[in-house]
Amino acid sequence: MRTRTRILSGAAVGIVAFAVVATPAAAATDGAKLSVLHGVPGLTVDVYVNNELTIDNFEPGDLAGPLDLPAGTYSVAITASDAPDASAPAIGPVDLSLSAGGNYTAVAHLNEAGQPGATLFTNDVTPTAAGEGRLTVRHVASAPAVDVLAGGSAVISGLTNPNEKVLNLPAGTVSASVAAAGTTDPVIGPADVNVAEGTSTIVYAWGSLQNSNLALAVQTIEGLHSAPGGIPAGSAGLAAEGDSGTLWLGIAGVLGLLGAATLVARRQVAPVRK
Amino acid sequence: MPTPAALDADPTAGPVVPRSPRTSRRAPGLRATRALRGAVLLGSLVLSGCAPAPAGTDGPRAPAPAASATATPQPDAAATPATEPTPTAEAPAPAPAAVPRRDASPEAQPAAAVLPPPVRLRVPDVQLDMPVLAMGVDDDGAMALPSDTADAGWYRFGPAPGAAGTTVVAAHVDSLVHGLGAFARLRDVPAGASVTVTTADGTDHEYRVDRVERISKTEVPLDLLFDRSGPERLVLVTCGGEFDRGTGHYLDNVVVTVLPVP
Repeated sequence: MRTRTRILSGAAVGIVAFAVVATPAAAATDGAKLSVLHGVPGLTVDVYVNNELTIDNFEPGDLAGPLDLPAGTYSVAITASDAPDASAPAIGPVDLSLSAGGNYTAVAHLNEAGQPGATLFTNDVTPTAAGEGRLTVRHVASAPAVDVLAGGSAVISGLTNPNEKVLNLPAGTVSASVAAAGTTDPVIGPADVNVAEGTSTIVYAWGSLQNSNLALAVQTIEGLHSAPGGIPAGSAGLAAEGDSGTLWLGIAGVLGLLGAATLVARRQVAPVRK
Repeated sequence: MPTPAALDADPTAGPVVPRSPRTSRRAPGLRATRALRGAVLLGSLVLSGCAPAPAGTDGPRAPAPAASATATPQPDAAATPATEPTPTAEAPAPAPAAVPRRDASPEAQPAAAVLPPPVRLRVPDVQLDMPVLAMGVDDDGAMALPSDTADAGWYRFGPAPGAAGTTVVAAHVDSLVHGLGAFARLRDVPAGASVTVTTADGTDHEYRVDRVERISKTEVPLDLLFDRSGPERLVLVTCGGEFDRGTGHYLDNVVVTVLPVP
């Protein structure tokens, strides 16, 4: 443990890659929701929020949260799990700016070159169309650009660390695999991903290609569904209310047109007969 | 470490909570889980003191040390982040309170809660007895319905009988091929009439008609009609009112609100 910690600390001192991809979300509530994903292989950590130990003995591949937090800026520090406090973080401290109504996931992960850092993603929690779910793929692995394949063809191309791609899809199960960009040989998967209706399903590719420990992590955010646009439940007019004038207007209209057509026909025919 | 809010209990003395795969998103055992979580929290408060930090693992999914794998509760609340409140009441510590956490690997994903779908609908007062098919959304984003007026459709993305929210069952009132359907008689169903929905597991769910409404399609409260939370109810929907021959559609929906027999 101690050796591993020292290695990580050295790497962290070298480069702490931290990208904030936050955009202010529409204020639906006063608070923000923050989830935390641990995507650094081989290291159990403690997570401090504003110097308060918030997630103890956090293991790789685990997802914590969501925390309900008032909007504001939070200092997050990630330490080795045997650290007495947040004074010597392995990652951070980093400031996370959380907007009211926003939904976020902070991910501790390796950058493309394999150094640990953290990225704050803003989760799209806008309503999904009836019958659809939202699939988001995030590249947080030490690996070059990747393609995401579904049914043998690329549905996402050239995704790089630490970026994401959002797809709105008909609800159902997608058999997805991850391959190096421009190739079809999977480095992860294929794995069945359930794109549930009205749910945001976020899939993270994490770990390290070089160390052969690439893996997937899945986060779901439910309750984004919306109602169908209507219930069109009849098409023949057989059950129409008796007090409706529409039917008679329709019949009168058809008779009127027939009458007019007949008149026109007679007028056109008449000169010929002459 | 000052960790009154931490979920970790002393692995040597705390209750053992296996990291079992969850089978239900709606968590029938949620109450038990909450109680358990409370017990674990209480345990950690009483026992206090930090467990020795477990050693790190060598890979993303390498076997975790027994201490943290068995002593860390994985509340089901994590599986429903959008609807489950963070349990703040149980933790005496200042925010942030106890954080639910879980294994995020695809294999550990909780299976979706699947209640048996409705398969048969009976309203004896209007001689209605018809099969119910699971339906989704059509190409226009409207609720899809069986084309045959002899079949009713259940909105499969919404609640099923026995779940919170509204079970929506709709059927064509008529069609040029199949003629007038049994749902045409729903506008005459009296309040208090008995409604029985049979689900695929053979259970009969008993309801009583609360009210029948004819609502202009432009004013149908679809969000309310397709409500997925709130009290359990059933709505039977078809078309009615004036028929617009230009569009081939009725102008109204007939909406029968049906409540479970207490």
